Amino acid sequence: MPELYLRLLDRILTPILLILAVFLFLRGHNEPGGGFIAGLAAAAAFQLQILSRGDEYVRRLIGPYLHPMAGIGLLVAGAAALIGFRQGGFFKGVWASIHLGQLELDFGTPQLFDLGVFLVVVAVVTSFLLGLSKSEASEGGEEA
Amino acid sequence: MQPQPLLLLSLLLLAVSSPLLWLLRPHRFRHVGWVAAIPPALVTAMLLTQLQPVSQGIFLHERYPWSAALGLEIILRLDGLALFFGLIVAGIGAAVALYTGYYLEDHPRQGYFYSLLFLFMVSMLGIVWSDNLLTLFVFWEGTSITSYLLISFEHEKKEARDGGRRALIVTGFGGLAMLAGMVLLGQSVGTYTISDILFTPNLDASPYYGVALFLILLGAFTKSAQFPFHFWLPGAMAAPTPASAYLHSATMVKAGIFLLARLHPALSGTDLWFWSLLTVGAATMLLGAVSAFRYYDLKAVLANATVSQLGFLVMLLAFHSEAAYVAAVVGILAHALYKGPLFLVAGIVDHATGTRDLRRFARLGRELPWVAATAVLAGLSMAGLPPFFGFLAKETLLETFFHHAEHDVPWVGWLGLGVAALGGALFVGYSLTLLWEAFFRREAPEEAAHVHHAPGFGFVFAPLALTLVGTAIPFVLTAVEKPLLTPTASAIAGHPVEVHLALWHGVTPTLLVSLAAIAVGVGFFAIRSALRRLLATTPSWLNGTYLFDRLIYGLYDLAAWSTRTVQGGTLASQASVVLLAAVVALVGALTQVRWPEDLPIDWSAGVYFEEVVLVALAIVAAITTVRAQTRLNAIVSIGVVGITVTLFFVIFDAPDLALTQLLVDILTVVLLVLVFYKIPPQSLPPLSRVVRIRNLVVSVLVGLLGFGLTLFSVGPRFLPTISDYFSLNAVPGGHGANVVNVILVDFRGFDTMGEITVLAIAAVGGYALLRSARLRPRPADRIALNHDSEEG
Repeated sequence: MPELYLRLLDRILTPILLILAVFLFLRGHNEPGGGFIAGLAAAAAFQLQILSRGDEYVRRLIGPYLHPMAGIGLLVAGAAALIGFRQGGFFKGVWASIHLGQLELDFGTPQLFDLGVFLVVVAVVTSFLLGLSKSEASEGGEEA
Repeated sequence: MQPQPLLLLSLLLLAVSSPLLWLLRPHRFRHVGWVAAIPPALVTAMLLTQLQPVSQGIFLHERYPWSAALGLEIILRLDGLALFFGLIVAGIGAAVALYTGYYLEDHPRQGYFYSLLFLFMVSMLGIVWSDNLLTLFVFWEGTSITSYLLISFEHEKKEARDGGRRALIVTGFGGLAMLAGMVLLGQSVGTYTISDILFTPNLDASPYYGVALFLILLGAFTKSAQFPFHFWLPGAMAAPTPASAYLHSATMVKAGIFLLARLHPALSGTDLWFWSLLTVGAATMLLGAVSAFRYYDLKAVLANATVSQLGFLVMLLAFHSEAAYVAAVVGILAHALYKGPLFLVAGIVDHATGTRDLRRFARLGRELPWVAATAVLAGLSMAGLPPFFGFLAKETLLETFFHHAEHDVPWVGWLGLGVAALGGALFVGYSLTLLWEAFFRREAPEEAAHVHHAPGFGFVFAPLALTLVGTAIPFVLTAVEKPLLTPTASAIAGHPVEVHLALWHGVTPTLLVSLAAIAVGVGFFAIRSALRRLLATTPSWLNGTYLFDRLIYGLYDLAAWSTRTVQGGTLASQASVVLLAAVVALVGALTQVRWPEDLPIDWSAGVYFEEVVLVALAIVAAITTVRAQTRLNAIVSIGVVGITVTLFFVIFDAPDLALTQLLVDILTVVLLVLVFYKIPPQSLPPLSRVVRIRNLVVSVLVGLLGFGLTLFSVGPRFLPTISDYFSLNAVPGGHGANVVNVILVDFRGFDTMGEITVLAIAAVGGYALLRSARLRPRPADRIALNHDSEEG
C-alpha cells in the first residue's frame, strides 16, 4: 500500500528517525534514552518504510539480517557481561577513558551491553512488524 | 616432581587431536587408524613412565586457575587410582582409535566419530585425574554428553535416538543429583579439593552425610548402570561398536565405580554405604547375568554381561577390607581387558558377516580363526575360568565373603557368598553360550551368515593385543603388583595396602566354591534354550526401558494437557488466566499490609488541574475502547489511553518511561491497524453474557490490585528503599547520570539479559507462528481470531 504522501514523509522522516535512534542510544547513559528506546525508534523507522514502500521492499533490504542480528545482540550482551570477569565478577562494569584533547570519553561494558539490547530490540520488533505486514502477494515468502 | 605439566599437556594433546581428526576427513585414508592411535598411545607411554614414581608415593600435581571469582580451579593429581584408570582409558583408547579406522572405513562421518571419541577421552581422563569435586563434575557431564552423541551417531535410526535420549536423561539426572551431593559434601567439609576431603576425619558424623552420600550414590549408580537404572546401557548398544567397547564397557560406565573408589576413604565404613552398595550391586549382578541369556544379539548379550560385571564391582566396594580393594582393582582391570576386546570382536563379526544374531552363525571360527582365538581367550576370562584374569577377580570376591562370614556378620557373608557364586555360575553360562553359538556350533538355527568381508590385520590386532595383555597378567603378577595394583588399592583404602595375589593358593574352600560355580555354569549352558524360553515370558511392564518410556511419554501428555487447559482458547481467556494468577499472588502479599497505618493517604498534597484532565481523558478513552462498535475506533481509543499514560510520565518527570511508552504505543497502534486490515471489516459480534461477566470481574480485580499496589508503594516501607542507593551510585559506580539506564544495563544488567533473551526467543516463536498461520483467515477462523464469542 505505498501511498504518495507516505513516500514523501518517508524520504524526510526515515533518516531522521534512524539518526534519532543513534542519538538516543549514544546519550542513553547520561540523558533519557538508551538501547531499548533507541531500538524502538529504529523499528519505527522501518515501520515507516514498510508503510510507504511495502513490506517486500524492506524484507529484501534487511529481512535476512534480522534473526542473525538478534543472535548477535545476545552474544554482544553476553560478552559484555563476561568481560566483567576481568574486574572480578560477572556483569562487573569495566570502564576505560579516552582523552581527545579537551574531550574525555568514558567507554564501558555497560554501553556494550546496551548495544546488545539495542540490536535485539530492533531485530525482534522489526521482524514482528514485517511478519504481520506480510502482503498477500508475498505470502509464502521465505524470510520475514 | 617434574616441572613439565605432563597431565595438562596430555589433555591438550587429545583435545587438539579431536578437531584435527575431523578436519582431516580421515575416511579418505585406508590405514588412518594407526595415525589416530598415536595421541592416546603417547599418553599411555607418559603414564607408564609415572609407574615408578607413583609406587614410591611421588604424585604429579598440577594446579591451574580457572575462574577465581567462582572459587574454581583445575587441580590434576596423579595418584595410584588416577594412574590406574588413566592407563585403562588411554591404553584401550589407543586400541579403539586404531580399530575405528577399520570399523568405519569409508564412512563419511568417521572424522566426526573420531572427534567425539577424543573429546570423550579428554573428559574421562579429566574425571580420573581431577582433584577438585566441581572440576570432576564438569568432566563427568562431558562424558555424558559425548556418550549421548556417540549413541545417537546413526541418528537416522529411531533406536539410536531413543537409546541416546534414555542414556542422557538417566545419566544427566544422576549427574545433577551428584552435583548436589558434592556441594553438600564440599560445604560441610569446607573444601572441594578431593585429597583434602579424603582425610577429613569423622565425615559420617556430619548431619549432611546421609543426604550427600545418597545423592552421590545416585550419580555413581546411574553412570555405572546399576539397578534400577541399568536399562540405559543395553539401549546404548545402538552406538557404533567402537563406542560400545570403549565407553559402554571399558571406561565410561566405570566412572561410577571410579567415583565410589575415589571417595571410598571418606564415605565408606558406614552401614548406609555397606548396605546400599551390597544390595544394589548384588541385584544388578544377578539381573544382568540372567538377562544376558535372553538375547540373541551379540552386543545385547555383552551389554547385559557388562551390567552384571558392574554390579559385581559395586558389591566389592561395599566392603572395608584390603582383600576387597585388591579384588576391585583386579576386577576393573580384568573387565576392561576382556570386555573391551569382546565388543571389538562382536564389531568385527558384524562387519564381516553383516549380522550379530547368534542364531545365524555356524562354525564361524573356521572362517575367522584369529577373531575366534581372541574371543576364546577373552570369553574364558569373562567366564572366570582358571588360569584367566577373570578367575583371579572372582576368587578374590569369594575370598572376601568368606572372610566376612568368618570374622564379621556370618549370615551376610554366607548369603553374599551364595549370591556371588550364583553370579559366577551365570557368568560361566552366558560366556560359554556366547562363544559356542558365535564360533563353534555346527548348524545355525536360521539361515547361516557367511564372511563376505574378511577383516584385515589392523582390525583384528586391536582386540588381540588387549586380550594378550589380559591373558599375560596372571602369569606376571609379581611384576604388576608392586607398580600398579598396590598403589591403586592403597588409594582406594586411603592407607598403604599390601597386595599378594597368586593364581594358585592350594586347595582352599574358595577354590571348591569356585569349581562348584563353574560346574553349575556349565549346567546353565546346557539348559540355555529352556532359560531363554522362560525369560521370553517375562511381562513387558517389568522392563526398565518400558517403564522409563511410559514416564517420558506421560510427561509429554502432562505438558500437552496443561497447555490445552491453561493456554487454550482465545487471547482473552489466556490473558484472564495470567491476570487472575497475578491477582491471587499479589492479594496474598497485600493481606500482610496493616490498614490503615501503612497506607496513609496524604490529602494535603493537593491535586493539580492537568492531573484531573489526564485522568478524565484516560477514563473516557478506556470506556470508549470497550464500547467501540468498530475495530478502528477501539484501536484509536486505546491509543489515546496510551498517550495519556505517556503524559503522566512526562508530568512526573520520568522522561525515559515516557519515551518508551510513546514509542511502544505508536508501534502497537500501527501493528493493530495492520492486523485488523487483514480481517474483513465486519462489525464486532456481541459477546456472550458469561464472557462479559468474566471480563468485568477480571478488569475490576486487576484495577483494584493496581490501585492497591500504587498506594502501597508510596506509603512508608517495611524496609529501606533501594532507589536511594541507585541514585547515589549511578555516577560513581555506573559512570552514568541517567539512573534508569544505569539500572537497566549495569546494576540490574542480569535481569535485562534475561529479558532480551526472552524477547529473542519470543521472536523465534512469533516467526514460526506467523509463517505457519495464514493471515487471511479461513472462514472458520474468523470468529476465533476476532473475538471470543464462541465461548460461554
